[in-house]
Amino acid sequence: MQTSTSKKSAVLSHAFIWVLIVFTIFPIYVVIESSFNPTGSLASSSFWPSSFSWKNYKMLFTDPAVPFTTWLMNSGIIATANALFSVFIGAGSAFAFSRMRFKGRKLGLQSLLLVQVFPSFLALAAIYVMMEKVYTVFPAIGLGSLGGLLLIYLGGAMGVNIWLLRGYIDTIPLELDEAARIDGASTFQVYWLIFFPLAAPVLAVTALLSFIGTFNEFVLASLFLTDVHHRTVAVGLQSFIGAQFGQNWGPFAAGSLIAAVPLVIIFLSLQRFIIGGLTAGATKG
Amino acid sequence: MHRLAGFTGLPAQIAKIIFMAIADAALVAMFFASLSKHGGLLTIVIAIIFIVTNIVYFSPRTVPLKFLLPGLILLITFVVVPVAYTIQMSAFNYRTGNEISQPEAFKQIMSQGLQPDAANTSFDFLVGRVDGKLVGLITNQADHTSAIATESGVTPLAPADVKIIDGRVVGASGFTALTPDEAANLDSTISNLKFPDGHGAYISPQGDSAILLTQTYLYDKKKGTITDTLSGEVFKDNGVGNFANTKDSHQLLQPGWKAFNTFANYTHLFTDPVVRGPFIGVFVWTTIFAFTTVIMMFSVGLLLAIVLNQKLRFRRFYRSILILPYAIPSFMSILIWGGMFNRQYGAINGLFHTHIDWFNNPWLAKATILIVNLWLGFPYFYLVSSGALQAIPAELEEAASIDGAKTSTILRLIKLPLLLQILSPLLISSFAFNFNNFNIVYLLTGGGPTDVLHGKTAGATDILITYTYKTAFGSAEQNLGLACAISVIIFFIIGSISMWSLKRSKVLEQI
Repeated sequence: MQTSTSKKSAVLSHAFIWVLIVFTIFPIYVVIESSFNPTGSLASSSFWPSSFSWKNYKMLFTDPAVPFTTWLMNSGIIATANALFSVFIGAGSAFAFSRMRFKGRKLGLQSLLLVQVFPSFLALAAIYVMMEKVYTVFPAIGLGSLGGLLLIYLGGAMGVNIWLLRGYIDTIPLELDEAARIDGASTFQVYWLIFFPLAAPVLAVTALLSFIGTFNEFVLASLFLTDVHHRTVAVGLQSFIGAQFGQNWGPFAAGSLIAAVPLVIIFLSLQRFIIGGLTAGATKG
Repeated sequence: MHRLAGFTGLPAQIAKIIFMAIADAALVAMFFASLSKHGGLLTIVIAIIFIVTNIVYFSPRTVPLKFLLPGLILLITFVVVPVAYTIQMSAFNYRTGNEISQPEAFKQIMSQGLQPDAANTSFDFLVGRVDGKLVGLITNQADHTSAIATESGVTPLAPADVKIIDGRVVGASGFTALTPDEAANLDSTISNLKFPDGHGAYISPQGDSAILLTQTYLYDKKKGTITDTLSGEVFKDNGVGNFANTKDSHQLLQPGWKAFNTFANYTHLFTDPVVRGPFIGVFVWTTIFAFTTVIMMFSVGLLLAIVLNQKLRFRRFYRSILILPYAIPSFMSILIWGGMFNRQYGAINGLFHTHIDWFNNPWLAKATILIVNLWLGFPYFYLVSSGALQAIPAELEEAASIDGAKTSTILRLIKLPLLLQILSPLLISSFAFNFNNFNIVYLLTGGGPTDVLHGKTAGATDILITYTYKTAFGSAEQNLGLACAISVIIFFIIGSISMWSLKRSKVLEQI
């Protein structure tokens, strides 16, 4: 009796896992197959692979109407810049909230906690009008520029990053700070020489999460980046297949793979750290 | 002590001064650039940032602020200000046709009232300069008298001062005609010139001739009305940003202006049948979607965590495949699924040999959104559930099994309640996230199909945030005021849910 139920449950478990695996792999398989299918259009893509070619990949790097490398670079630049700056700037604020006692600290933290639940794109109409105005004075950081988009992303990342980092800094023992202070270190020295090296791993994870988040961001990027050469991969690929869904399917699949593979590798190799960061409050999906 | 010494004293001071000098130079340059281009509020913001930064970094007493300031500036400028601006914009009638300020709109309306005078007076017109200023040399085609028209009025010329070739005036003393090249460059400036004739009319260039325009709109400042003297119709400020015909309130003078209308955008959402229907529909679907999708993702993720928590062969292999959707950039996965659900060519209809039009049926479109979002989200819930499962102390399970409880009973009565307790903050924040999950809707269905709710902008799968986006930036009509009102409602909902969740979890008290 006992063995038969456990056998039954093992069979059920495996059935469940395999159904999920098929569900998971299906689109991945379709993309890989389409990217190597020389006909390149959705119409002629078949479920079973028929022929193999690099044509779609070549098209991405040679067709001047599809500046794929530029998109990839734009995404890389803006995601890296946002990850580095937002963590670097956020770390300072988090350090102050965690280690110092000052007037308004509690209120500041409470407001921060509330502010960080609003994604910045909720105010998209206001951001648009604001940045339109900025454009008339400073085109380099106004509407249509990567610089302006970066500023919006940085502002939006502050709440979450400060909150996440503060939580981590709270776990670094105070004794270390005190020891350094007895040795005559100033607050800045404690920050640079004690806190920064200790927090390096969590700073890296937060930066990585910011990077992935920025890479995925679509709303503000599509609103901001109207010029084809300023687009990020997300906006570029969307407009690319949005224009002619059937026609550009093969190159789109190839482009998706190129952009996704590095991220997937980073994610899988660092998953242990990333998952720790996730449960601390960041969500996706 | 020696290691620390490297970062203090003179080098640190110099570094700080250099850094601040660069920042100050940049801010000062931006301040004057903004001032010269009439940046308005922007100029003030730059000035404030400049002053605050210098006080904070040069005063010895503001140590916490030295750490907080950069983050604080970014947070306030790009999150708090837009939120405040959203609230402010939501109180204005701000839409296509009502985008400019009242004085600007008034100016444009009055310029439309300028019509050729009854006598159809026309002039030969030659553009040139007197003392460097753009002026017109005009010659009345009826009586052939010439004059110089400037911004300050018309100065008649004695016939002796005028140079005539082939019966056409080509110059006058003191007047330098523009070369054809100059004239071509200034084309748009020239056609916009309006020279007052001193009697309430204007001389307006039309190529090489000019006509006399008289004001047919009569503005009565006391009554606040504009009277069209040709038709006799009276237009009055309707209080919501337009001059409307007093006899037919739908006949408006264009353009209108951004008018303050307090709660009108909000009351529209709940009382105007054209807006209310779609809004309620979108709101209901947003809530249902966010609930359903979180429950689906959580159930599958949790079940997977329970299953993979057993000792199974290939567990690691299964695990690394099953978290793939989480590792792939989500916007791509959504676009890929969009192609796969394509009716004619998609892999799904191809595999099952069906011809289902997934995106044209509201129910199927909703189903695709839920399926794709499940694919995207179950790995996250698997990861967090399996983390939480492992965090439950093994002693609990042992104690229960010693008391004779079966594995399934332990799971149901001990593990699940604990798990729900641990994960509820994540479930709530996932609800809040999906409530605003723009990408899944916009990239998969675009909010469509659209012919169901008969609204101008809302489709069957639109959620509040995509509806806001379409309201603000749609192709037919852009209504920024209404979009901001919807944003404010979303702020309110998300804010309340989060406050409730924070109160529950007692995070606020631990600060």
